[in-house]
Amino acid sequence: MEKIFEVKNLSYTYRKNQVQALKDISFDVKKGEVFGILGPSGAGKSTTQKILIKLLKDFKGEIEYLGQPLNSFGNQFYEDVGVGFELPVHFSKLTGKENMEFFARLYKKHADIDDLLEKVGLLEDKDRMVGDYSKGMKMRLNFVRAMLNDPKILFLDEATNGLDPKNAYIIKQLIREFKHAGGTVILSTHLMNDVEELCDRIAFISGGVIREISTPRELKIRYGKRIVDVEYRLNGQTESETFDLEKIGENQKFLDILKNNQIETIHSGETSLDDIFIKVTGENIHEDA
Amino acid sequence: MKTLNVLIKGEFQRLLKYNIIQVGFGVSVLWLLVMFLIGRDEAREFVPLFIFMDASLMTVILIGAGLFYERQENTLKSMMTSPVGMHKIIISKLISAVYIALQSAIFIGLISIFFFNASLNFILLIGFILVIAITHAMIGYTFSVLVKDFPTLLALTMVYMIVFAFPSIFYALGIVGGALETLLIVSPSHASMLMIDFAFGAEISTGLIIGSVMYLGVVAFVLGRFLVFPLYVEKAIKE
Repeated sequence: MEKIFEVKNLSYTYRKNQVQALKDISFDVKKGEVFGILGPSGAGKSTTQKILIKLLKDFKGEIEYLGQPLNSFGNQFYEDVGVGFELPVHFSKLTGKENMEFFARLYKKHADIDDLLEKVGLLEDKDRMVGDYSKGMKMRLNFVRAMLNDPKILFLDEATNGLDPKNAYIIKQLIREFKHAGGTVILSTHLMNDVEELCDRIAFISGGVIREISTPRELKIRYGKRIVDVEYRLNGQTESETFDLEKIGENQKFLDILKNNQIETIHSGETSLDDIFIKVTGENIHEDA
Repeated sequence: MKTLNVLIKGEFQRLLKYNIIQVGFGVSVLWLLVMFLIGRDEAREFVPLFIFMDASLMTVILIGAGLFYERQENTLKSMMTSPVGMHKIIISKLISAVYIALQSAIFIGLISIFFFNASLNFILLIGFILVIAITHAMIGYTFSVLVKDFPTLLALTMVYMIVFAFPSIFYALGIVGGALETLLIVSPSHASMLMIDFAFGAEISTGLIIGSVMYLGVVAFVLGRFLVFPLYVEKAIKE
């Protein structure tokens, strides 16, 4: 699969406080995938994203965009890229529509603004000043802002943070639609639900170092407990047993329970991504985020 | 060029929406009322001072405050991830700053000619206002990138007024003596005052006026190149 970004030995130190935010990280992002960068606050997610969208330039290491050095691309790079920031980025005394019209005019090609506003449920509020929007509305407008130029690559920073479940679902559905239309998404987040539901591959980042890159499924298999928990009825009581997943089909006790008892629940010992993250990095993702 | 036009139009849209044009015009009307109240001869004397206040102090306050709020709204970061160069963003902001100052100077200047028979080289005044507004916009921008909150921005603007603007005003009004002029040579306010007075026919040596224009140009360049541009980009990215 074609690589959109190839990052090799990337390091970045903030000049002002001399904090090394990224330490020799390497990864690639393939065309058409949703690539998640997962980590707690201060782990280096936003720094990575800011470098990839060319806001931070004095990095060490190599970054290639479509096989060419990233720094060789001028402002035209942004014709391909949509960026959804973590915080609202709008003029508060302009309406939602006025904000989007202003930003859209900066691009050669752009999507239908009303269509995007309708998809995120803001069409009826398009003529209200953004200063009067709720935080959730501003975040949805952030997503519209990112999609204005009909981008090929979407960078999203905590895209569903602060959204209620219904609106978070809408944004996630739009991300899926974007991916199915051939778009590539780089998603920085600390929300495990977003990662599980959206990402094809994820990078666990902590302390400026990538600790693990894989698919959510592979991680669960690798770090999960290979067990099966069964709850069943026996003599009017609920009993439970745990079995090793290895050669489960030859485990006579397990087979007898299945055959002779009413099964109430049966679960494989899947470990959550939260648990895997702690296992891999030694950090709790929700501590600082 | 197309994106520069879009940026400039956007700046003007926001000047209107954020009431900056209206406030600037309101202040000009206020000066006008004062001019009619104090009488024809005094008004002629005070017109350069009113234009100075609008072109310099109002520019510092309005532009500084405008940019400060823009910083809070994170909009620059969003613009920086669109296909426009940072230089175009700065140029569009300077054009809007110059417009505010010009609007006021042209309005007060025309009134002073038609109602108070002021002697004024209008073309020269407009040229000087361009330089004065750009320099004071840079001063306003500098303040807005140096501070963390709005009260500090106001305090910094007050300090600037007390250190630079008020002594120039007092000197122009004859409240303080000639010995102060040596110190005022480093004041952008004083250089601005001299230029505006010159446009109104005051007898000032051409060398001093050329020096004043060059001094303001250097101040604008140094602030823009070494403070406003790098710090604004840095803060926009960080926030």
